[in-house]
Amino acid sequence: MKADDLLNSLEHVDPELVAQAAKPPKKTPSRRPLWVGLTAVAAAASILVGIALWPGGSPAVTQAFAVAAAEYPEMAPYPSEADYLKANGDLDMDAWRACYDAWWADRKAQLDQPEGYDSGLEGYYAASLVQFLGGGGTENRVYSPLNLYFALGMLAELTDGDSRQQILDLLGQDSIETLRTQARALWNANYCDDGAVTSVLASSLWLNQDVPFVQSTLDTLADTYYASSYQGEMGSAEFNQALQTWLNDQTGGLLKESADQIKLDPETVLALATTVYYRGRWAQEFNPDNTAPDLFHTPEGDVTCDFMRQSSNSAYYWGERFSAVGKTVESSGTLWLILPDEGVSVDQLLADPEAQDFLLSNGDWDNQKHLTVNLSMPKFDVSGQMDLIEGLQAMGITDVFDPAVSDFTPMTTEVDEIYVSQATHAARVMVDEEGLTAAAFTVLAAAGGAMPPEDEVDFTLDRPFLFVLTGAAGQPLFAGVVNQPG
Amino acid sequence: MEDTRIVDLFLARDEGGIREAADKYGNRLRQLGFHLLPDRLTVEECENDAYLAAWDSIPPHQPRDYLFPFLARLMRHKVLDQCRARRRRNEIARLTALTRELEDCIPGPDPTQELVDGMALGAALNAFLKALPEEPRNIFLRRYWFFDPVGDIARRYGLTQSKVKTTLFRTRQGLRDHLTKEGFTV
Repeated sequence: MKADDLLNSLEHVDPELVAQAAKPPKKTPSRRPLWVGLTAVAAAASILVGIALWPGGSPAVTQAFAVAAAEYPEMAPYPSEADYLKANGDLDMDAWRACYDAWWADRKAQLDQPEGYDSGLEGYYAASLVQFLGGGGTENRVYSPLNLYFALGMLAELTDGDSRQQILDLLGQDSIETLRTQARALWNANYCDDGAVTSVLASSLWLNQDVPFVQSTLDTLADTYYASSYQGEMGSAEFNQALQTWLNDQTGGLLKESADQIKLDPETVLALATTVYYRGRWAQEFNPDNTAPDLFHTPEGDVTCDFMRQSSNSAYYWGERFSAVGKTVESSGTLWLILPDEGVSVDQLLADPEAQDFLLSNGDWDNQKHLTVNLSMPKFDVSGQMDLIEGLQAMGITDVFDPAVSDFTPMTTEVDEIYVSQATHAARVMVDEEGLTAAAFTVLAAAGGAMPPEDEVDFTLDRPFLFVLTGAAGQPLFAGVVNQPG
Repeated sequence: MEDTRIVDLFLARDEGGIREAADKYGNRLRQLGFHLLPDRLTVEECENDAYLAAWDSIPPHQPRDYLFPFLARLMRHKVLDQCRARRRRNEIARLTALTRELEDCIPGPDPTQELVDGMALGAALNAFLKALPEEPRNIFLRRYWFFDPVGDIARRYGLTQSKVKTTLFRTRQGLRDHLTKEGFTV
């Protein structure tokens, strides 16, 4: 006999005994959450520009054209219950289930990646969280760990020698081959475009038409990173426009202000652009009727902003110096909201190893309790643009920025002394009420009776806080600091 | 809606029964799932499978006065299946913790060979649990039937964690003795 047999045989236990054990030991009034629509939207873009100490540029062709186009997997759409209602208002379960099964098969195929595919990244995540979220003063900070990972991964493909090794070291990979396997799995695990959730990591290469590039490297990038390549005249208005349009298309226009500032100089050999766009609906949505203005204590004084409110039976997490809750996104990941204890600053929390562990735990945390959480959080729209060079150098990536030592031979052997002259990252996360029209199908999917709560806690995000948005596969798509919710 | 009425809907092949059952018990079923499976998609899949299994088994079953244990049993079964099939780090760690504790109850020295009659074992378990006082029985079922973490059980019954662990330990010892007496040896 095995312990597993015992675990299985327990299912034959008399239902009466099970019912007794299921009875709540003390009764408290149950609360039913209200269900209405709300959306979370986020986007990020990283641009890495490689230029050469070389007087390139010829005014021949001015049209950007695609030399390699990435093909994304096709996914069955998520079946909205609203489309499967019978004349009498009941759900046509058989028809809905057939479509749901097709959707689920596609979803599962994306999520089912080799075991341990995301291992080795913990060090990179932790280092980059501290590097790019810390020391922001009173400003909001936001960045996408996964987006930056893809930019760095592609940069590793374009480089060799120490230039490549420094990137592999930061990403915790032994070789370019293991990085490729991992990047492909990560891309697929985080890809979703089913009508309900949009989560797309897009990459592209912008190539100088006067430079011959190594085709096999471009092919690897298209295959592994789903990167499309475009070639044209660097510095021309058309080529800049094409890049800006691509960025806006991939990020749903959320980063238009930043994207429209992106311009490439004539001496640019190559520009590398990666984006991530995410849009989803809360599994358990806020009722806008409960939204009311209240005070948020920014580092510079109090401001009034709209607070969304909701009570629900959910897990409440805590550490020595913080408390946290997670808001689930329907059929996808979770937005983790981390509130430093009174008297603890966001920067102090970011430097705290326990808090770092929590930020990357995706809820796999010992200190948690299921209870009634009275969540009160400001609607927020945070965006940030940052120069990555200093931060990447601090994390050990130095050679690609120095023409004297950089090695870009896998990309081209025709031009020497190429280096990365510009590395920009822009990101924006919005939590708003635009998804209201889509509320109908979520209402049915998410409805459920609340278990009588055994305890209750108020979780009020009325002072600077941290957030991490994880995708369905659990990796951090976005992380940020909200100092000013507006 | 009353359980009796929900079961009647199932018996009448009215799909509204599934919706009513989900409305009334979905949250508690999902909570059971989340104790072993961390991701929402899989838990919802188990929940849907549990309703489907209920649809297929009512009739002949008519669980009018034990609808929740009936659904929870189906859910528990699906969750264990998923957990074993998926073999991902966190889920396996949680499942392993449970089975390791239950190894205390295994009477024989060789845990690999013997074929076990699940029904006979279930009957022996029932006899043992019915003879137990209510509190240790509930604690045992919360841990191994509902997969509750020890901390949750302690809070639920207002006990310290060490008291819960001691109670579980004694119950497992008692179960081992009972199973030995019942002839479940190698």
